[in-house]
Amino acid sequence: MYNQMGTTTNNPNKDLEVTSPPDDTVSALEFSPPSVPQTFLIAGSWDCRARCWEVEASGKTVPKAAQGMDGPILDIAWHDDGSKVFMASTDKSVKCWDLAANQTMQVAAHDAPVKTCHWIKTPNYTCLMTASWDKTLKFWDTRSSVPMMTMNLSERCYCADVDYPMAVVGTADRGICLYTLEGKPAEFKRIESPLKHQHRCIAIFKDKKTKQPTGFALGSVEGRVAIQYVNPTNPKENFTFKCHRSTGTTAGYQDIYAVNDIAFHPVHGTLATVGSDGSFSFWDKDARTKLKPSEPLDQPLTKCAFNHNGQIFAYAVGYDWSKGHEHFNPAKKNYIFLRPCFEDLKPRST
Amino acid sequence: MGRKKKKASKPWCWYCNREFDDEKILIQHQKAKHFKCHICHKKLYTGPGLSIHCMQVHKEAIDKVPNSLPNRSNIEIEIYGMEGIPPEDIREHEKQKSGGGKGSDSDDDEPAAKKKAAPALLGPGPSGVTPGILPTPMGPVPPGMYSGHMPMNPMMPPFMQAPRMMMPGMRPLFPAASIPTSTPNKPTFPAYSNATISAPPTTSTSSSEPKENGEVKPPAANACPLVTATGAGSKIIHPPEDVSLEEIRARHAKYRPRPKPDAPAPAAPQPAMITPSTSQAELFSRQVAAHMSAAVAAARQQQAAAALRRPMMQQVVGVLPQPQLRVGVPVSMPPVMGMLPVMPQFNLMRPLQPGMLLPGGMMPMGMFPGGVPGLPMMQPRYR
Repeated sequence: MYNQMGTTTNNPNKDLEVTSPPDDTVSALEFSPPSVPQTFLIAGSWDCRARCWEVEASGKTVPKAAQGMDGPILDIAWHDDGSKVFMASTDKSVKCWDLAANQTMQVAAHDAPVKTCHWIKTPNYTCLMTASWDKTLKFWDTRSSVPMMTMNLSERCYCADVDYPMAVVGTADRGICLYTLEGKPAEFKRIESPLKHQHRCIAIFKDKKTKQPTGFALGSVEGRVAIQYVNPTNPKENFTFKCHRSTGTTAGYQDIYAVNDIAFHPVHGTLATVGSDGSFSFWDKDARTKLKPSEPLDQPLTKCAFNHNGQIFAYAVGYDWSKGHEHFNPAKKNYIFLRPCFEDLKPRST
Repeated sequence: MGRKKKKASKPWCWYCNREFDDEKILIQHQKAKHFKCHICHKKLYTGPGLSIHCMQVHKEAIDKVPNSLPNRSNIEIEIYGMEGIPPEDIREHEKQKSGGGKGSDSDDDEPAAKKKAAPALLGPGPSGVTPGILPTPMGPVPPGMYSGHMPMNPMMPPFMQAPRMMMPGMRPLFPAASIPTSTPNKPTFPAYSNATISAPPTTSTSSSEPKENGEVKPPAANACPLVTATGAGSKIIHPPEDVSLEEIRARHAKYRPRPKPDAPAPAAPQPAMITPSTSQAELFSRQVAAHMSAAVAAARQQQAAAALRRPMMQQVVGVLPQPQLRVGVPVSMPPVMGMLPVMPQFNLMRPLQPGMLLPGGMMPMGMFPGGVPGLPMMQPRYR
C-alpha cells in the first residue's frame, strides 16, 4: 500500500496517510480536545462505524478502537474531557462512546436521522446539542432519555457549530439561526442567508482580540463561502468569496463544486475549506486572501479538522455523492491525510 | 403583433422551465443565464447569437445553451423571451399548468395530477425540437449583427410588447400557493437579482413524514427546487434536486439503517419537555428517577441491539421454543437483570455460567448474543 506509485497518484500533496482508513466515505472528523495529553483522531463514516487513532508526534497513526451504529454516522463530537465521543447517525439516535471502556450507550433520539451533534460545556451546565432532519434542535443531559430542551427549526438541519457562548444552525431552507448558550440555550436571532444556494457547512470564528465568538463562515453547494459577523460594526465586514471551482472550462462550462467543510485554525484564526473538487485551500479572512491552494486529488474531500494546537491539519478523501450514486465506485479507497500546517496558516503579515 | 398565448399563463423560460411574473424579467434572465458568453461575459440576445459571438470573437464553438435542461439545450433554435418556443412545447407547458386548477377552461385539459411536476422540472418533454421551423423571422444572425445591438433587428417588437401581453389581472397572484399539490413547484432559488419571484420556494410542503421506517424522507423529488447555477457558463456539480448530499445518499438502499430490534424503544424521548428555566440542579433532582429507569432502559436497548446485530440471530429467535427466556430480549428480562444495567456486556457474559439465574435454565449457549467476545466491535457490515 505504501509504494511510491500509490503515494504519487493518490496523495499529490505528499501528506501523511492515516493507517486503516474507513471502508466508506468519512462523514465526520475530529481531533481530541486539549484536555488529553495525547492526540487522538476520530472519524465517523458511511460504513456505520466510528474509528479512533492515536496520532504520534512522528505522524504515525495507530488504530485504537472502533464502534458501530445501526446506520451511517453523520457527525461526531468529543466530550470536553476527552474520555467520550458522541456519534450521530441516520438511525435517528446519538450514542456516547466511552473510549476507556470501549462501550456505547444511547444518549439522544430524534424522529429522523441526526445530522449534527455538539458537546456544550459552560460554566453552569453541560449538555449535548443534537440537530436533525426532523426539524428540531434538542439539548440533552446525557443521563436522561428526555431532552432538557427542544427547539423547532424552520427546516431540516444541514449544518451546525458550537463555540460557547454561541451556537449556530443552518437549515435546508437556507435559514440560519443563532443561539446563545449563556445561562441556558436560547434562540438569539435568525439571519437572512448571505448565500443563494443550499447551505452545506458552517463554522464559528472568534474575534482576534477578545477571543470570543464573533461570527461564522458558511459554505454552500455553489462553491462559495460567506464570512458573516453577528454584530458587524460595518456591513462591509460581511463578504463572500468563491472557491472550489474549476479554473478552466469544460465544454463551455465552469464547474462549481460544493464546499464540504470549513475549519478555523485554533491559533491563527485563519481557515481551511475542503470541496467536492478534491482540493483544500487555506484562507486569511481578514486580509481576504488565499494563503495556499492544494494540489487537486482525484476524489472529493469531505471533511477537515485542525488539532487543538493547530499543528496538524487532517482531511478526508472519499466520494461525497455530488455526482449521484452512479459515480460511486466502492473500489476506490478512502483516505485520511495529515499535514503539518502551522506555518501554512499564518496570517498574511501586513 | 406578438403571438397570442392562449392562456394567461406566466411567461416561462424554455431553456430551464422556470416561470416569471413578467416577460421583461424572463428576458433578463435569459440574457444573464442562457445567452451570456462564458469568456467575456457579454450578454447576447439569443442562442444562435451567442454561438456566433463565440465563434467569431473567441473562435470557440458552443454546442449547448448554458444552464439549460438537457433536452432544451439546442443552441440553434432562436428563442427570445416567449418568442420562438416550439408550439408543441408551449402546448406541453400549458398542459402541465392547466392541471393546476385554474385551467378547467383550457381546451386540452387533462387530469393533471398525473403529469405534473417531474416532467416540468426535469423535463423529458417532447425533445423533438426541430431547428428547421423557427417561428421567428430571423434565421441565423448574419455576421456583423452578432454583437449586442438588438434594437436594430426584428427582435425588437416582442421586447416592447411582451410586458403588455401579460395582463396582470389575468394572472392568479399565487397560483402555486393556492394549489400546492398539483402545480409543479417553484423552481430553484430566487436568482441573484430576484425580487420578482412571486411565490417563495416551497421546500417544505411535502417534506416531512419523518416517521417512515428508517427512511430519510426528504421531499419528493418532484416537489423540490433544483440546484442550478446562477451564472451563465457554469455548472454546479450537485444532483439536480436541492436536497443535501447526505439525504440523497442516505436514501440509497445500501445505507438504510439496520432494522431496529423489535424490542420496545424505551429510551425514545417523550414529548414532555422540561422547562428550560429550571436550574440544573433542580432539573437533575427531578429527573433522578427518570435517570434510573432510563439507564436501565438504555442498557436493555443496547442488549437488544446486540442481540440483533447478526442477521442470523433473528431467525434463531424465531426458532427458539421459548424465546421469552432469552436474556437478550428486554421485554422478558428477569427483574434481577435490571439491577445491573450499566455494563450490558458483562451482563451478558455472566449468565453464561450455568444455572446462574435463568428461570427455566434454558440457555442456548452457542446462540447467545453476548457470548461472542468482541462482537460489538467486529460486527459484520450489514447492508
